Amino acid sequence: MVFDVFFLQQVINGLSIGCVYALMAIGFTLIFGVLNVVNFAHGEVYTIGAFVGLMVITAMAPPLLAVVPLVLAVGAVSGVGLERIAFRPFRRFTDEASQKSRAMREATLLSSLAVSIVTREIMMHIFGGDMQGIPSGYLLQQPVAIGPIMVASGSLVIFATSAVMLGALQFLLYRTQTGLGIRAVSNNQLGARYVGINTDRTIVTTFAVGSMLGATAGILVGLYDGAISPHMGFAPGVKAFVAMVMGGLSSIPGAVACALLLGVSESIATEFLSSGWKDLITYSLLVITLVFFPQGLFGHGRERA
Amino acid sequence: MRKNAILGAILGAMLATTAVQAADREIVIGYQAPLSGDRSQYGEMFRNAAQIKLEEFNASGKLAGAKVAITFEDSKDDPKEARNIAHKFLDNSKIVGVIGDFSSTVSMAAGEIYAAEKMPQLSQTASHPDFTKLSPWQFRNITTQAFEGPYNADWIIAADKKTAAVIYIQNDWGISALDGFVSGFKAKGGKITATEAFNPGNRDFRSILTKVARQKPDVIYLAMFYEEGAAFAQQREQLGIKIPLYGTSSLYSPKLIELGRESVEGLHLATTFTPDNPDPAVQTFVKEYAARFKSEPGMFAAQAYDAVGIMLDAVAKAGPSVTRESLRDALAATTDYPGVTGATSFDPVTREPAKALAKMMVKDGRFQVVTGP
Repeated sequence: MVFDVFFLQQVINGLSIGCVYALMAIGFTLIFGVLNVVNFAHGEVYTIGAFVGLMVITAMAPPLLAVVPLVLAVGAVSGVGLERIAFRPFRRFTDEASQKSRAMREATLLSSLAVSIVTREIMMHIFGGDMQGIPSGYLLQQPVAIGPIMVASGSLVIFATSAVMLGALQFLLYRTQTGLGIRAVSNNQLGARYVGINTDRTIVTTFAVGSMLGATAGILVGLYDGAISPHMGFAPGVKAFVAMVMGGLSSIPGAVACALLLGVSESIATEFLSSGWKDLITYSLLVITLVFFPQGLFGHGRERA
Repeated sequence: MRKNAILGAILGAMLATTAVQAADREIVIGYQAPLSGDRSQYGEMFRNAAQIKLEEFNASGKLAGAKVAITFEDSKDDPKEARNIAHKFLDNSKIVGVIGDFSSTVSMAAGEIYAAEKMPQLSQTASHPDFTKLSPWQFRNITTQAFEGPYNADWIIAADKKTAAVIYIQNDWGISALDGFVSGFKAKGGKITATEAFNPGNRDFRSILTKVARQKPDVIYLAMFYEEGAAFAQQREQLGIKIPLYGTSSLYSPKLIELGRESVEGLHLATTFTPDNPDPAVQTFVKEYAARFKSEPGMFAAQAYDAVGIMLDAVAKAGPSVTRESLRDALAATTDYPGVTGATSFDPVTREPAKALAKMMVKDGRFQVVTGP
């Protein structure tokens, strides 16, 4: 019998891992949506969040809720710094031709990749390549039994955080003046500039918000996983990227839905195939989506210059 | 006349100094290991241990008239990098032998070039059965999975556990660990309920655990490294699964307990190195390593320490004018090298090391030697 309590447990396992992907995909998609370029350094912001969180925990042993605002602040600072180093230099040319040029987009993509590699290597030299354990009082690994199904407390925290982030972001984007600015820049950067929106400030705000979410994701996943390392951002970053593309590139709810879909598919695939196949499942889903839904599952068919 | 004598003395002295300079030659050993990238923690341990052994050797005066140096290259655990390093080492005429690399895949990538160009290569950790089959120029001082797998299988069967699920990392080494264990376990009448591969870098084992738990095997056998092992044990605890864990020696590291805490309690594995071993050579090494690098050496550091020792002893045996050829023959003649991972001898035909394994389990938060099943 395949459809039993173990199967239900697999679905829950899948939702847990999907939430991890979603948590990372939210900030990632926000930044992509505005600038239309992939921010390869998002994984490093995530790692920085985890390391700063761990440093604070080992140095001061504060209550967990006190760590969060600090990690948010660090995320905001790294987001602003990242924008300054890797993205702003390519926005010097404000004419329409440069803004739409492919070369400019690719240069930005590579500069964010460069920042990501440099940051990772610096972290390797400071912290070493070893996995760092989390002090046991902060681990989000307590088993919680829901009937016959077992979940870790971290899964519930991550699920709740994703929901709050998604809700808060939708509120920010559709109910506030800042959100209106972000949507305007995302839709047409030049147009937004012509109607008097301070596009630079809007972009910096987007980076700050996206990176705050990324850094929080890093520390939460670290506490849930029980260990962090300078390389921890890479694997979920790839999955978040796939979720973003499947979700239609700029749709945040779409990215979240696709992240959950990926998690559950991987986990159910393990049940029928070997777990060594699960990355294959992810990429097959990506290819199938792109072939049959070129705009992604939740795309709006907007112009991709 | 006297003038001439003085001149002669001066000339003689000058000649003597040049002679000493000529004899005081430098012999270089190449060491390739992952010093950056996500396996760099292993490369760091190798380099640390190698430095201790090299200093000991040069101070010991075993090799009169020459000094040995080790030059390190970073292979990033990447076969392409390893091939580039192999060419670089071959071009350097001072290099007479190479230690490394870390993983079997990368060691074999470089090994193909060393085999063709006749450079002796000794890996401290490559345990894939095919590594030493490349050519007579390859050596290793680690027991292979073809030896360790059946050893662990016997141990599990002796504990009256008849069914096992195997979880292994999807790479050359993991597959060789799977093969070694499965063939040994089946030969003793055991039954394998599942074999599950996972991709390197994976940290979520909940879906594998759920799948394996359904079949209720007597034990779960882990062929993976300590980072994954600790995550696996933690997630097993979260899911409330109580099946006992056995594993390969690659899990043996103080870090496994540091990361896994209570969840790794009861994990069984066999290993060649235990820092608790009262042998004075082991204690000297453990103290020196701890004093210099502020951490307890694990099996990987010990493997590197012995690999460097075996290589340097072979250099000493081959004499101050070592060639790649004479070093290979000296390495092949290694018998009962007294290392911290036990005595090592190379089989004259297969060049495989013969070593003894110790059975251990995690008890009260540390690895303890177990006697009996």
